[in-house]
Amino acid sequence: MNKLPGKISKVQQSGAILLVDVDVDGHGFSALLIESATHPEWLQVGNTIDLVFKETEVTLAKNLSGIISMRNRMKCTVQRIERGELLSKISLKFQEYLVTSAITTRAVDSLQLALGDEVEALVKANEVSLMKK
Amino acid sequence: MENSVIFIDIEKRMLTANGPMNLSIHTTIPAGELVALFGESGAGKTTLLRILAGLVTPDKGLIKFGSTIWFDSEKKINIPPQLRNISLMFQDYALFPNMTVEQNIQFAQPEKDQSKVNELLALFGLTEFRKRKPTGLSGGQKQRVALARALARKPQLLLLDEPLSALDAEMRIALQDEIAQAHQLLGVTTIMVSHDLNEVFRLATQVLCIENGSITRTGKPEEVFSDNSISGKVQITGQIARIEKQDTINVVTVISGNNQIIKVIAFESDLENLKIGDRVMVFSKAFNPIISKLR
Repeated sequence: MNKLPGKISKVQQSGAILLVDVDVDGHGFSALLIESATHPEWLQVGNTIDLVFKETEVTLAKNLSGIISMRNRMKCTVQRIERGELLSKISLKFQEYLVTSAITTRAVDSLQLALGDEVEALVKANEVSLMKK
Repeated sequence: MENSVIFIDIEKRMLTANGPMNLSIHTTIPAGELVALFGESGAGKTTLLRILAGLVTPDKGLIKFGSTIWFDSEKKINIPPQLRNISLMFQDYALFPNMTVEQNIQFAQPEKDQSKVNELLALFGLTEFRKRKPTGLSGGQKQRVALARALARKPQLLLLDEPLSALDAEMRIALQDEIAQAHQLLGVTTIMVSHDLNEVFRLATQVLCIENGSITRTGKPEEVFSDNSISGKVQITGQIARIEKQDTINVVTVISGNNQIIKVIAFESDLENLKIGDRVMVFSKAFNPIISKLR
């Protein structure tokens, strides 16, 4: 799984649904969560947590323009490409962190991904989990 | 009906299948709750229930029901079961075979009260079977009579030792609903031994998890059984049965606690400290799973 350390900057709640904003070294992330009426004490503004998301939930885009609903966007550099028959694993450098994306090998080819490429990694807010540190 | 807090502070040396064990329970049970004693067999759940009933004597300690002392080893007080005003019900209930359903319930009443009998018959859907003898009843119906009879005593405390474990799944769910309803209606403090997680979730307002003779966790079922440190709301614990490398990923087969087979995609970094046989938690966001009714 991908894990980024962050600090909770905002918690917005509507019933059991929570939208939590997290700051990772000055870069904003959002996580959409379901919690019971009383959410855990570690889920408060100012707390340091880990942002967690699965490799298969990381979409890659090149030269992305227009507007998009994905809330979590990371400008990355391609560091490593591990090609599989159907699925490939792309290692990315996001700020000083490593983020991994698993996409189909077809997608790697259609994006013409190469080492050193500048790409954007995108994750939907509802795919991001938070973990107590 | 009087409802009182139950104070338990006892020690009891026990001999179990795994050797000697010290049952050491220190807790308070709030009045009017439906408390589940949850744990593996041999953990001490049934012994604790029997201690509360007065059928087993602790080595030392104190048990108080409200202000009434039931057991005090220092003062050498040990109130016998029949004076504790409790009802104890096991999975192998014994109804009086020569009495009708109605008579079985009436017999348990401390003082005759036909309207109460009618209420219990209605509560457990037994009104039309009131004139039948137990031999003419199904397992679920007999269990309902046993429950009605246990409540007819107007106990201050109802103790249930896996009361539904001999029933099939459908009947169990129906009776769980009736127990919940009876508890809501009559408000009698109830302590139930169970190792059925589903049952605990449906019925209990509080859970005491017992492991090796000690209480390890307490709280509401949703607090006790979910890992609070991860926001993922779909959490399954299990054991890794197989790890297969496929392409650039690994397919990990996990057998869950209730023997469901789950397959999870994992990457090399996830598997760094994992091997076959390890106990793991599989979690996902509440947003991802799709739900559909079983045929």
